[in-house]
Amino acid sequence: MATVSVSKGVFTFAEAYKKSKKTKNNSDSWVNSLFICEPWYLQYKENWNLFENEIKQLHHKTYSILLNDIVNYINSFCHLHQCVTPEGVIPTATLLTGVNQPDHVSQFTALMNLIRENVTSHIAMINSQDGTSVKLLVENVVWQLINGFHMLDNSQDDESDDENFEHKKRRLKKNQCTMKALLKWYHSKYVCGSPSKKKHNANTKRLLVVIIPDFESFHCNVLQDFVMIISSYISKLPIILIFGVATSVSALHKSFPYHVSSKLLIKVFHSHSSPVYMNQVMENIFLTHTSPFHLSGKAFELLTDVFLFYDFSVTGLIQGIKYCMMDHYYGDNIKSLCCPREKIDSVVMDLTTEDLENIRQLWSFRAYLEKQNCREKIKLFEDDNFFKEILCKEMLRLHDYLFIFYACVKLFFVFLKDLPKNILGKSVREIYSKCASENITCTQAFKECMQLINFQSQLKLVDSIKNALKEVNLSLQIAAPIKPLRATPMKNNLNHVSFGSDFGYSFIKSVRVHLMTFSRQIENAKNEITTLVTNNTEDLDVDAETPLGNRYKLKEKLLRATRVDKVQSEFEMVRSRFVSFLEEVFTKGLKPPHTQTFYEIIFFNDVSSVKKQIVGSPRGAIHTALSNPIHYLQCKCCVLPSSESVAETLPDVCLAYKLHRECGKHINLYDWLQAFAAVLRPDEDDEQRYQDASVQLRFTRAVAELQFLGFIKSSKRKTDHVMRLTW
Amino acid sequence: MEAGFSETYECREISEGTPKRSLRNRSKPKKYGDFLDLSPVKRRSIIEDESSEDDEMKRLCPEKPTALFCSDDVDGQDIFKFKSRHTKNDLQNIVKTVVSNSPIVTNTPMKTPKKVKAFAHLQNMSEATPRQVTDIIKKRIIREVESDSAESDYSDGSSDDFVPEKSDDESESPSASASSEENEEDGSGEENKKNCLNKKKGQFIKNRDNKMKPKDSEYVVTPDNYFMMHSSKKITTSDHTLARLKNMNLNDEKDAETYVSDEHKNKIVELLQSYEQLFNRWLYVLSENFNIILYGIGSKRSVLYQFQVQKLKDLPCIVVNGFFPSLTVKSILEAIVIDLLENTRVPSNVGDTVNLIDSQLSENGVDLFLIIHNIDGAMLRNVKAQSVLASLSRLKNVHTIATIDHINAPLLWDHSKLSKFNFTWWDVTTFLPYIEETSFENSLMTHRSGALQLSSLKSVYQSLTSNAKGIFNIIIEYQLANHKQTHYQGISLKELYSKSREQFLVSSDLALRAQLTEFLDHKLVKIKRTFDGSENLVIPIESVLLQQFLEQQNN
Repeated sequence: MATVSVSKGVFTFAEAYKKSKKTKNNSDSWVNSLFICEPWYLQYKENWNLFENEIKQLHHKTYSILLNDIVNYINSFCHLHQCVTPEGVIPTATLLTGVNQPDHVSQFTALMNLIRENVTSHIAMINSQDGTSVKLLVENVVWQLINGFHMLDNSQDDESDDENFEHKKRRLKKNQCTMKALLKWYHSKYVCGSPSKKKHNANTKRLLVVIIPDFESFHCNVLQDFVMIISSYISKLPIILIFGVATSVSALHKSFPYHVSSKLLIKVFHSHSSPVYMNQVMENIFLTHTSPFHLSGKAFELLTDVFLFYDFSVTGLIQGIKYCMMDHYYGDNIKSLCCPREKIDSVVMDLTTEDLENIRQLWSFRAYLEKQNCREKIKLFEDDNFFKEILCKEMLRLHDYLFIFYACVKLFFVFLKDLPKNILGKSVREIYSKCASENITCTQAFKECMQLINFQSQLKLVDSIKNALKEVNLSLQIAAPIKPLRATPMKNNLNHVSFGSDFGYSFIKSVRVHLMTFSRQIENAKNEITTLVTNNTEDLDVDAETPLGNRYKLKEKLLRATRVDKVQSEFEMVRSRFVSFLEEVFTKGLKPPHTQTFYEIIFFNDVSSVKKQIVGSPRGAIHTALSNPIHYLQCKCCVLPSSESVAETLPDVCLAYKLHRECGKHINLYDWLQAFAAVLRPDEDDEQRYQDASVQLRFTRAVAELQFLGFIKSSKRKTDHVMRLTW
Repeated sequence: MEAGFSETYECREISEGTPKRSLRNRSKPKKYGDFLDLSPVKRRSIIEDESSEDDEMKRLCPEKPTALFCSDDVDGQDIFKFKSRHTKNDLQNIVKTVVSNSPIVTNTPMKTPKKVKAFAHLQNMSEATPRQVTDIIKKRIIREVESDSAESDYSDGSSDDFVPEKSDDESESPSASASSEENEEDGSGEENKKNCLNKKKGQFIKNRDNKMKPKDSEYVVTPDNYFMMHSSKKITTSDHTLARLKNMNLNDEKDAETYVSDEHKNKIVELLQSYEQLFNRWLYVLSENFNIILYGIGSKRSVLYQFQVQKLKDLPCIVVNGFFPSLTVKSILEAIVIDLLENTRVPSNVGDTVNLIDSQLSENGVDLFLIIHNIDGAMLRNVKAQSVLASLSRLKNVHTIATIDHINAPLLWDHSKLSKFNFTWWDVTTFLPYIEETSFENSLMTHRSGALQLSSLKSVYQSLTSNAKGIFNIIIEYQLANHKQTHYQGISLKELYSKSREQFLVSSDLALRAQLTEFLDHKLVKIKRTFDGSENLVIPIESVLLQQFLEQQNN
């Protein structure tokens, strides 16, 4: 298995392929053999598939409106094509997608499928790498337009075998695909085609749709020429262009001069901005009590930070969550408890003694132990069955807690949404990450928020209470023991609630009752303040006395008015009662997860290990290894007083690296070598040391490695000098 | 986390665009107009105002990366520290500290009282460049600092673009660090200048909440410093060359075992063992359609080899040596399509090839493992290669395990490629020597001796006919005689012809050309076309080597 050669750089190990081809092995066998019998793996797979489905549905939901708009727009040209547009003008849809390009693939495939279903089967989607020149672009477009149809045709009707054969024979080679060929094909197909097809197409023209998903990555000139070519054919071929633009419409105008853009009839469609979409994904899929797996505040922050500060890509975010989930489950059977509520019983039954022992090691269990009396403690440790019972109970309680927690987070959000200053953030995820990482009710920010609610007007308060009621009803509905009609069967088995949920359910129910009474009270409360009678008489006196010294008197009057004790109106009283009620609810409901027993099982908390894998820091690792090798090697010989210092025991590369950091832009190889030698052989005589071949050899190797790592490169400015490539 | 990511932070700020921020932008032009007729001092205070306003903005704007950066990250200051002026004494100082085991504070070698014997040589070396030169440069820099002080202060406002967000408290006072850095810089200059600058700045430092930390003053990233460093064309290093070494040619010993101490050997073995425990985890990660990238110092070939032997024995693998100097993407695709999937030819279009691989792999239900040593290798450092690899790695049935070593390797990927790669990052620092990886490369130390070039030249030369040898000698001699001309263009064909004819080497122009094709095929000579249309011949080998070659031939 030698994989180094001076004549080739690629080595194939194909025996296994041939073997497996013969036996027709299942492709997943290599995975399955490793993990398939592990409970945690099965649980992970199940949960992830659940999430994946939900994400798919959400995708579908969020895209559907926008995509339908586009399809309608395209459809409108089906009939009116000739009469509406002036000569040579191409109808164009421009989809502003945002900079999160990795997400766009799914969006455009969805669009393609929709168009294929509803409008036409002739679609071409060309990425920038397939359209580096006009020739390539046209070839690809024409080929896809013609053959996309065939592919569909073949799959649809297999009865006409010989016709298919004919198609295949007629299928054009790619270099024969020109606009002329397309025109010819189109004519034979639709204008003077077979009678059956003609009937079908009598009233509508079959459109040809060309999608260019990454507009900015194309060369302007290529696209300009392409547009001009199409516009010369537009009278004979009903082509529609769809551009995906990542930045803004001005990109379109910048890359097309007037004579080109005048050939386009552009309609702009806006897609959701990715933070909105991300919030949606978070709120609907991961931040619900029905999701079996939860992220701790810190992990959640990490992932959203990666999203907001690095890539804006929801796909990336989902992959990040997936990785966290993988890490959470990996090799740990007790994590199989991290499952939907109704499965807890059966999972607990399947746990082995070893697993139970592992659970007893959890930190949160210790806190729980301390609360128990002595006999219970012993029983918990010795009686596995009793422990299982408790475990079951506590897990159900944990799920109850989740239910209350998420309901409260959403409730909290409703009240915070309209407050000025956005103290705790403006989205559910921000509030979640704060609530999950600390006891929010003890913080200053929370107190401020409550104070601000205390200043809200009657109308607004009624409004937000109504919204809150909606939220509460929604969460009650999801968890209701007697279920109303379900929209989707999948949710049905997800939200199946077993006996233990009474506590959480009743808590939220009581919140609802309270909210209702408060809303009624506040609505009916009077807002006027009954003013004191004495004031009135005085005012009269003043008015009668001197109407001329008006301003002074007014001032006096106002001053006096301030001194009068403010009497609370009925509304204000109700309001302050309401605020204290809210405080009470949130103190109960928004306890951070780490206060709960067994929270480790369903909350992913190991941020530091995951962070390294999600956001790698290759440069940091190289630097650490070179300047402080003991960090990796754990050896006794390389203890350094500071990161700057040098010792002779250091590995050669590290030594050379440290010396080179002391140099400027240019490094004299000879001096560098001398310094290197001086460190290695401090006691020897000059002459001897500098001519020592082994030192020279070691130095040569170290320099070669530094060059390989990209710290230095050769320089022609001065003989025997190298250039530093870092500061 | 690395500090280099601050750029992304910037772009986010722009795109998020809080209303308050845009408000500030609107008021900006007015202030810029005011600049023009203000004295420098006043101007500075306005900039200060603005930057403090900026700070306030940041405090109001709650969105800062909270979880990305934590205390156990590698300090950005360590990696990216920008020393404004390197003196050649730095190198000696550090050696001195090791040799004498005592910290040396002074900057100039003149003042060091200790004269360690081992150090005597270095001491002499430093005196090779006269001290006046450094003084002159120093003065010039000071002058520049003074004249540009307004401008350099201007950078205060924008300096937060350049200060990497290492930790929260440090990023909060970017302007503080910038100005204090300037103080430090002047510190090496005259005292009074420093004082007067300080006086000017005093007022600003006061209203900066006293957030300034002593640590900040060391961390200097201002654009001015960069340009200052690069402004002097002069290379202020000593004039020593490697020619001083007696044994210059080490080529025979090149294969000798590299030196690693015993303790380190043991520790490295332990490290490798710890990485072997990750193998199952890697399989798990790969099976979930993530790909793996390994980074860290040291050759990772052995780790990957172990992984392949232990875990991927019965699975189809392709091993790619990214450091192989004549690797092409096509050869990778060929290996997959022809060698593995047993097709007869590779489609000309890359996209089609990837589709073909996808469909054939999923049809047969086979997973392919792509092991790429040095995905940042010289031949893969282009957009096209990386996009092919990215689209291959995206396939459900292809699992990529790649390694990177170059410090700037992550720059290869934009975020759409990154999302296709879907990497998980693993720190696999091995400290093993890069023997295979660097074997193809010309080492900086050894390529000067040019043994490889010389021997290849010799072997080609020996296979030539005597007439061809003669022609080649003419070219060499001409080049050696004339290479010192400023724009040496090579020997013109005409001249070569007349010279060869004189020596009865060729009889016609055609015959000469026939001989030359031989040279061209072996890349012994290059044809350069001059602006007047004539063809000139150059040997692309250094003249020292040519001289050596000629001497060897004559012996």
